[in-house]
Amino acid sequence: MEIPRSGPIYICIMALRTILHYPDPRLRQVAKPVPVVDDTVRQLVDDMAETMYAAPGIGLAAIQIDIPMRVVVIDISETRDQLQIFINPEITRQDGKQVFEEGCLSVPGIYDEVERARHVRVKALDRHGVPFEIEADGLFATCIQHEIDHLNGKVFVDHLSRLKQSRIRKKIEKQERLAM
Amino acid sequence: MTSPAARARAHAAQVVDRVRAGRTLDDALDELFGHLPAGLSEERSLIQEMAYGAIRWHFQLAPLTRHLLDKPLAAKDSDLDSLLHVGLYQLLYMRVVPHAAVNETVSATVVLNKDWARGLVNAVLRRALRELEMLRERITSDETLALATPDWLLARLQAAYPEDWRRVAMAANARAPLTLRVHAGRIERAAAIEKLAAGGYAAHPVETVDSAITLATPAPVDALPGFRDGELSVQDAAAQLAAPLLDVRNGQRVLDACAAPGGKAAHLLERTPALQLVALDVDRSRLARIRENFTRLGVHGDIVHGDAATPADWWDGQPFDRILLDAPCSATGVIRRHPDIRLHRQPGDLERLAATQARLLDSLWPILAPGGKLVYVTCSILPEENRQGVAAFAARQPQARPLPLPHPALAQHARADGLGYQILPGTADMDGFYYAGFEKSGTGPA
Repeated sequence: MEIPRSGPIYICIMALRTILHYPDPRLRQVAKPVPVVDDTVRQLVDDMAETMYAAPGIGLAAIQIDIPMRVVVIDISETRDQLQIFINPEITRQDGKQVFEEGCLSVPGIYDEVERARHVRVKALDRHGVPFEIEADGLFATCIQHEIDHLNGKVFVDHLSRLKQSRIRKKIEKQERLAM
Repeated sequence: MTSPAARARAHAAQVVDRVRAGRTLDDALDELFGHLPAGLSEERSLIQEMAYGAIRWHFQLAPLTRHLLDKPLAAKDSDLDSLLHVGLYQLLYMRVVPHAAVNETVSATVVLNKDWARGLVNAVLRRALRELEMLRERITSDETLALATPDWLLARLQAAYPEDWRRVAMAANARAPLTLRVHAGRIERAAAIEKLAAGGYAAHPVETVDSAITLATPAPVDALPGFRDGELSVQDAAAQLAAPLLDVRNGQRVLDACAAPGGKAAHLLERTPALQLVALDVDRSRLARIRENFTRLGVHGDIVHGDAATPADWWDGQPFDRILLDAPCSATGVIRRHPDIRLHRQPGDLERLAATQARLLDSLWPILAPGGKLVYVTCSILPEENRQGVAAFAARQPQARPLPLPHPALAQHARADGLGYQILPGTADMDGFYYAGFEKSGTGPA
């Protein structure tokens, strides 16, 4: 396709951010609530979305790109065009149980089963700072809980047995050595 | 969190890759599913659909992938090649949002630890998407591509079925129904159908096979009402003909010479519980499957390890009134259920299999009682293993009198060749099977 020569040029200033890898201690920080949803936060949200889509992932918490703020982006749609933004998210209700095989952009190459609530109700602020509440179940519910864990300094492997955790740490150390 | 949809594509590619390296599709899937948590039924069925599809259309997807790649991938990147097959299968055959399918398939490279190939997979699949109509035209204009059948097999089918070899080849690409066998000793067929309907599973009887019912939509068999209680088993309707055709009576000594996994032997015992049945198999590891099936179905037979070609090793010297020889074969009649057969079978296998079949017939014939009957079965559609094999046997054994096999399913749906009966895959929704019967003339010992 030919690039149009005339007309305005829009410059996208989104940026891909580096994702921290487990067991980086920065993943253990408890993220702080966002006091005001302003352009800086919206820029952060856009960067997070771009980083998540490129990774590729279905969810990302700000802490994973070393920003200890309570911001989460999620898109579980097949078409990758249903971005959902959660600022200062809180689970207000949860029930049921389900097991999903989870993977995490901060724990590359590791997948394991985690049991979480089947249904959750979440309240949060949108990209304009407007509060909303949403019900989630299935993969969506698991993903929200996975990301909110990050905001509290938790990674999905924390749900696994100690034996599995130490195996995972060894495997990741080996991967990182090979990558260097 | 990482994307389960991308992971499903990576898993499917790994399964396809293992099958291309020689594993059976069932084994490769079982191995993977053994490692996946039980709760992931949606992800499992997606993986299964993509892996089956990519293998079913392998002989179409492989040349198309070669055409779309500027240069072939290195042997160590066969998983990426298989991923491209999976990607192309989705675009050509699955009801998916095309761009989403491309994205998730591209993302699967990361799961395969081959991030470097994202651009490559993306470029190939985007090109496929742009050229989809051209690809479809290419498929329809090339017989080998359209039928997704290797040339050597197509040549054999052409020779065997000069009128309708295209239809025969294409039938292997259809999806087979889930057909069940009803345990006659435990429940009536009509009652079993009602019970399934009450559980939300629509099923209908197979007209000419009195034990068979077909499920309207495939479902996990474990969940079917009556399955765990041994009222139902999974078995194609054509395979359910073996038991009635053997024409047994209570008290008779019956040998199922290649019995594993025990479906046909169990069926014999379900219909006629007081048989003295010996279920023989040469593969010791598969005897457990026979035992499991017998236990679940509550039937009793002697499960014996031994090679049917060497009766001296296991036979007690008492002749059998009936022998069922479900001979090892090319399985070309059941490709629609096991599409990996087309990848694994080599033209040279046929001669070797025909020799085995002849050896089995000749070794078992002496241990059949005079007046006894032997039914020869294959799930092959090639005359080398069927008509030609039994004709040669009849010529070698003057005491072997070809036996007509009167059965409505054969009368209506099979092609009689003068010695046996060939059911073609897809006819009345059955698998491709061959049946031939022989009676041993004379009253003295053979």
